[in-house]
Amino acid sequence: MLRLLFRFSFSVSLLFAAALVLRAAPESTAQPSARAQLIAALIAPPAQQVAAIRALVGVEDSAITPALTAWRAGELYLVTLADGTHVPATLAPDPGVEGQQIAMSVDSASPLLDTVSGKPLVFVLNQLKPLDTTAPLRRAIRDVLEVAGVSDPNPATRRESVERLGQSRKAEHLPLLKARLIIEKVSVVRAALTDAIAFIQLADTDPKIRLAAIDSLAEAHSLAAAARFKEQLAAIPAPAADEGAAMVTALKKIEGHWQVVNFFGNLFRGLSAGSVLLLISLGLAITFGLMGVINMAHGELMVVGAYATYLVQKLFISAFGLGSFGFNFYFIAALPVAFAAAAGVGLLLERGVIQFLYKRPLESLLATWGVSLALQQTFRLVFGPANVQINAPSWLQGSAAVSDVLFAYNRLFVLGFAGLVVLGVWLVLNRTPLGLLVRAVMQNRQMASCIGVRTSHVNMLTFGFGSGLAGLAGACLSQLGNVGPSMGQLHIIDAFMVVVSGGVGNILGSVAASLGIGTVDQLLQPVLGAVMGKILVLFAIILFLQWRPGGLFPTRNRSLD
Amino acid sequence: MSSPASASVLDVEPRFFSRAQWASFLVPTLILAVLLPVFNALLPDGNLLHPSIFTLNLYGKYATYAVLALGVDLLWGYLGILSLGQSLFFALGGYAFGMHLLLMIGKDGQYKSDLPDYMVFLGYKALPAHWEPFHSFGFAAFAVLAVPALLAFVFGWLAFRSRIKGVYLSILTQALTYAAALLFFRNDFGFGGNNGFTDFKRVLGADLNSVETRRGLYIASVLLLAGVFLLYRWLTRAKFGHLMQAIRDGENRVLFSGYATARYKLFVFVLVAAITGVAGALYVPQVGIINPSEMTAEKSIEAVVWVAVGGRGTLLGPILGAIFVNALKSWATRAAPELWLYFLGGLFVTVVLFLPGGLISLPGKFKAACAWFRPKPPVAPDEAPPAPSTAPAALGH
Repeated sequence: MLRLLFRFSFSVSLLFAAALVLRAAPESTAQPSARAQLIAALIAPPAQQVAAIRALVGVEDSAITPALTAWRAGELYLVTLADGTHVPATLAPDPGVEGQQIAMSVDSASPLLDTVSGKPLVFVLNQLKPLDTTAPLRRAIRDVLEVAGVSDPNPATRRESVERLGQSRKAEHLPLLKARLIIEKVSVVRAALTDAIAFIQLADTDPKIRLAAIDSLAEAHSLAAAARFKEQLAAIPAPAADEGAAMVTALKKIEGHWQVVNFFGNLFRGLSAGSVLLLISLGLAITFGLMGVINMAHGELMVVGAYATYLVQKLFISAFGLGSFGFNFYFIAALPVAFAAAAGVGLLLERGVIQFLYKRPLESLLATWGVSLALQQTFRLVFGPANVQINAPSWLQGSAAVSDVLFAYNRLFVLGFAGLVVLGVWLVLNRTPLGLLVRAVMQNRQMASCIGVRTSHVNMLTFGFGSGLAGLAGACLSQLGNVGPSMGQLHIIDAFMVVVSGGVGNILGSVAASLGIGTVDQLLQPVLGAVMGKILVLFAIILFLQWRPGGLFPTRNRSLD
Repeated sequence: MSSPASASVLDVEPRFFSRAQWASFLVPTLILAVLLPVFNALLPDGNLLHPSIFTLNLYGKYATYAVLALGVDLLWGYLGILSLGQSLFFALGGYAFGMHLLLMIGKDGQYKSDLPDYMVFLGYKALPAHWEPFHSFGFAAFAVLAVPALLAFVFGWLAFRSRIKGVYLSILTQALTYAAALLFFRNDFGFGGNNGFTDFKRVLGADLNSVETRRGLYIASVLLLAGVFLLYRWLTRAKFGHLMQAIRDGENRVLFSGYATARYKLFVFVLVAAITGVAGALYVPQVGIINPSEMTAEKSIEAVVWVAVGGRGTLLGPILGAIFVNALKSWATRAAPELWLYFLGGLFVTVVLFLPGGLISLPGKFKAACAWFRPKPPVAPDEAPPAPSTAPAALGH
């Protein structure tokens, strides 16, 4: 207990010390000299520049990173003032006059003033020649930036630079990383720091430290370490026996972990792809499965939903501004709009074309194909042939990681949403008066008509409902992929395959088939590649229909045509 | 099931062609296959009757399309199978012959290598073994027939055996075409990927760019069309043809009468696939390129539209439809490229909704309309009313 306390107080004091070194010191005394050092390095003669830049490694100053980044990108200029002195500066667009650039001093990060008139110095782009860089200079800049990145305020940048330093395997970075580990608070960066330190320690002279590093990396399931271990095990002066054994166990541990992670990742991706398929094919399961209409324009109805989402997004951007709090709700508002838009187009299609073709299913295929061509061309003329930009609301961006398995929020959302939609469809079909009529008409149109059901009415509403579901699918797809005029064509064949292999006229069949097809497809893809996996699934479906021509859950029927 | 089509089966004419029909078959065939090439060869360039070689080439292309459309029609109009995989068979025939043409380039390709250009580009060291036999024209010709036929046999055997029909068969053939197109789009499948085969130089030793060869290809296409027309006419007129239509109108009844309907369907499916392959093989040297975009489901559906527009269930209709729609396409894509898809889409919808018999039914409709306006003579009691138009209605199940 005492020991623990002692340890604790020791680490706290260390922490304070380090914080003093890293934080307080530069702010009070070192800053002017660091800034001066930077300026001196920038205007030094080319021969001495590399050494001067290298001297900046580890120096803390807020001006270093922007100045060096600009230099590397060829955006740093030496402005000669009226008194003949050279001052390093970057250019910023002048808000007042278009095409003119204001020189921003690196030293003060404010506009450079003319020594005579006292007004900001203004240049036209290309008037100044950017500061030259050479290959050794760029290397020096990179080293400085990497070390500076470790104390960057942005955790993502910190993590990246820490990882790069670890990959460099240079022992000289060890003290910096260790010091940072003490004050670092963000857990991912801490993990990256531990890994980087262990990675550098793999080449330590002390075998004990090396062994500890191997264990630590195995614990962290580091893939980079696995590659390194493999390399070392295959190297000609093989590592010492105990070290080799440790590496082999570490390798096994790391690889086993990633196999599990990949499996679950693929499973999740498969379920997610399946839920997308499900959303697309649910509408089809109603229009094709229940009503027997081959609607080749189903994909285009989906695109209508996607474009409706796009328009709602545009509206929200103009009302609230991109990225604002209100903007994040656009997707919620877009869902009913997408449903309504697609349902509206579907109703028009049913009234205009399909209602005449209920007895001629093969011809409904041709007519709706014609409609789909016209719709595609309309999308092209209205929204342009290129994909439109859809910005995800902030709550659909990013992902949650559960022991290295990534769950993207947008995919999680689609998965849950698909479940809700299935539930909704089931409720509508089985628990509402409309659903009763729908089922009656779909089972036997003539008989339903005889007992007084207005079949034409029911047909219209059912088709509109199926089309609206396509619109919802389109809205969801807009969060997962590109939205363009030919987006519908990509999914229509898959959707038909789902309905056929699930068993026509059966929602449950479509659910099972889409989740099954999506998962098998995703599990095959890493083995066979995207296209071959897809082809194999298609052939598997064709063969599956040999075995069960009616699909997974065929509708039993005694009638024979 | 008392559609006009099944009624028309009963009034079969005993003869294959009446004298007038022979004349109306032979005259256009001779004009297209003999007169036009002769005019092209003999008349000077500016003459009104001189068809340019470009025109002949275009007609040759239409003729191969018409053969494709005839196949779709035999399956759809007579057998009730709406296959959306016909463009696949067309393209497979084209690819098989394209392989031969590609090997015939020899060292005249861009890379001056024995290997086809795209293989050099992809870093092949030697010709793959399955390409070797395609050096021989005979083998290529055999493959043109055999490859589509084999695929049709395997797929048809599986599909017809488990009695997949109607809409489901259409969707499956569409999926098959889609899968095949995906496969051919891949570079590592070994058939030129995206770009397919092109830059052909010669066929049977003759320069493909010379007027004589192109004229010959045109004549071959027209003769193929005429031959296929005769063959299909014979098939549909024979007892076999009646069975096909019976299967279309009531497959289960035919089945219960003791016919193995699956075999009949399989036979027609394979036969049509092989013939469509030949059309594809003639198409490729005339347009000079074959790539996977020829085997997409869209192309298949386009061919179905030619048939629907021309008039399905007749043999003249698909030919007219193929020529009409393609002529319209080449005109409209030049005159109003943005509106072409509206045109095509509108054509689909209009024909399906308002003209189920296709263009070929127009004269009959016109006559009926005229008769309706004319004062009706008193009908003799034993005189039968005029036969309705030949277009079959209601093919649904």
